[in-house]
Amino acid sequence: MDKKEKNFLSAVIYVHNAEAQIEKFLRMVKEVLEENFEHSEIICVNDDSRDRSVSVIRNVSAEAVTSSISILNMSYFHGLEMAMNAGVDLAIGDFVLEFDLPVSDFDRAEIMNVYYRALRGFDIVSASPERKEKLSSTFFYKVFDRFSEMTGKMSTERFRILSRRVINRISSMNKTVPYRKVVYAACGLKTDHIKYHAAGNMENHYDRKEKNYRFGLAVDTLILFTEMGYWFSLSMTLFMMLMSVIMIAYSVTVYIASHPVAGWTTTVLFLSVAFFGLFGILTIVIKYLQLLVDLVFKRKHYSFESIEKLTK
Amino acid sequence: MCKRYDRIIIGAGLYGLYSALYCGSRGESVLVLECDSSPFGRATYVNQARVHQGYHYPRSISTAVKSAGYFERFYKDFHFCINREFEKVYATSACYSWSNGGQFKKFCEAAGIPCEELRAEKFFKDGMCDGAFLTREYTYDAMILRDYYLDKTAQLKNITIKYGIEIATIENVQDAYLVRDTEGVEYRTGFLLNAAYAGANQILDLLGYEKFRIKYELCEIILCDVNDVLKNYGFTVMDGPFFSIMPFGKTGVHSLTSVTFTPHTTCYDDLPSFACQKDSRSDCTPGHLGNCNQCPAKPVSAFPYMANLARKYLRDEYVFHYKESLYSMKPILMSSEIDDSRPTVIRTYSTNPTCVSVLSGKINTVYDLDEVLNNG
Repeated sequence: MDKKEKNFLSAVIYVHNAEAQIEKFLRMVKEVLEENFEHSEIICVNDDSRDRSVSVIRNVSAEAVTSSISILNMSYFHGLEMAMNAGVDLAIGDFVLEFDLPVSDFDRAEIMNVYYRALRGFDIVSASPERKEKLSSTFFYKVFDRFSEMTGKMSTERFRILSRRVINRISSMNKTVPYRKVVYAACGLKTDHIKYHAAGNMENHYDRKEKNYRFGLAVDTLILFTEMGYWFSLSMTLFMMLMSVIMIAYSVTVYIASHPVAGWTTTVLFLSVAFFGLFGILTIVIKYLQLLVDLVFKRKHYSFESIEKLTK
Repeated sequence: MCKRYDRIIIGAGLYGLYSALYCGSRGESVLVLECDSSPFGRATYVNQARVHQGYHYPRSISTAVKSAGYFERFYKDFHFCINREFEKVYATSACYSWSNGGQFKKFCEAAGIPCEELRAEKFFKDGMCDGAFLTREYTYDAMILRDYYLDKTAQLKNITIKYGIEIATIENVQDAYLVRDTEGVEYRTGFLLNAAYAGANQILDLLGYEKFRIKYELCEIILCDVNDVLKNYGFTVMDGPFFSIMPFGKTGVHSLTSVTFTPHTTCYDDLPSFACQKDSRSDCTPGHLGNCNQCPAKPVSAFPYMANLARKYLRDEYVFHYKESLYSMKPILMSSEIDDSRPTVIRTYSTNPTCVSVLSGKINTVYDLDEVLNNG
């Protein structure tokens, strides 16, 4: 018998209508954990699955010997980010593995690779497939990089490991975590990435609900974590202010040079000055909104229905 | 001709011996039948040893008020076995709790039990708890209490306690219940009290009466050695999938339990049937439960799980180490899932001859029995 790891490992798996993949995936994770760790737990976050996912999880959990498997049933569809936050909050492990998608395009050895990497002093180690990103993802990360302080830190990730230290730090830093990757990247502890050769083709597993959610999340993230909105409105304002000034100059010129219809100059002058002021006010309002966004984070973040402990 | 007793009590736990002494002091002849070789060998000993004052039930004010009422009386009657030399801290978790700090405070005010707000960060890691409260709760030492009862009952000639008795049949014969053990010895009584706790349904099954609607949990209480910082504290993070670490009577060790990991396996049948029974190498069957604590097939300790849960919350200066595990079977009333209440259920199945069953999960509500013992 070789020696098993003494650290307690938790794995959190996001499950949303994943009856086709979850059996194989859960079994794989369970086997890796039981083979390598003396004690471990697996939390399946069931985000409003309407298919047989839950009963599949129940069946697989019957095979578990040392690992404790539970299902966290969310009350309604929360989307990946909040659901995973809920799962990580429930986890008790010294290290927590986050699987954002129950699909294995990686070799099972990669799980232990990120763990060993974490032991060498990295609080967060993420694993991403070595393949061309989807066009939409590439665009998102490009825009994000352009408008945020964190350049080159983000990419599509399949799973990651977090130390208890980083979880504690994040929970004391933020009340809610709208987009984990950004918060992890900004937490200030050592992080690392592992690239693996993706096996097989990743088909698109997202259903309509998830697609809408991901699009919304991308927009929210860009608004919340980048200055994009502010810069856009600021440049638009400056441009429009410039236009107003030009309009004023133009109307004055026209008034002096030719003789416009009575009232034209007054109207145009009034409109130009009014727009100039209006754009100024808008920029200030948008800046206020930007600041208010931070305060909105303080709301209660998720609602769960029940926690079922299946084994141990 | 078999001997007739005024009272026959099944089970030598606290409820059984309390009743025996209560009736015995009035001069009634009492027989206590116990299947183990000593009293207080199961749930009376293997539990958190909490003398409840109601804090545990922030969603059931009725349970809380009742516990609080009996708290003083229990302390007065049994102060010799009670440890009150520690500070009891109740806390509400920031996540996954069914109640938050504010709600807990309001509840304590409503129930009229002391509760003083503390700074949660003093005891718990940052952001883990949204409220911590200094409360007044004690723990009792089951072994001291057992010796007290053995001493008291031995002084009364009219109380007999028989150990190692397994009951084979119970019959209602006109004016009496006829109890026959597996050796063929018969006992007769006009008043039968079923205080077998986890074995209550098994006795009711012999009688053919309606059983309690309960589920069974095979529970593990872990005893821990603790460092000086933790020694004088008891911590309970409550109302959700949390844990409790607190002094275990006067033994000097702490008990560690958790809502998720203390129950190892659960059985929803009327009678307890567990996979481990076939490996028990004793007579543990759905019809008769063995003593889990002495069983060779007891489960592997869940200490690593409970310890990790506790360490996730407690600050690192509170240190504890594994010492040993205690196991017992715990019956839980199915009706108490939603509000997490723990009512004492006392059912009278017949009068003349009288048959009464009691089921309660708390030590200090033992006084609930007085009424039925007075009437019988």
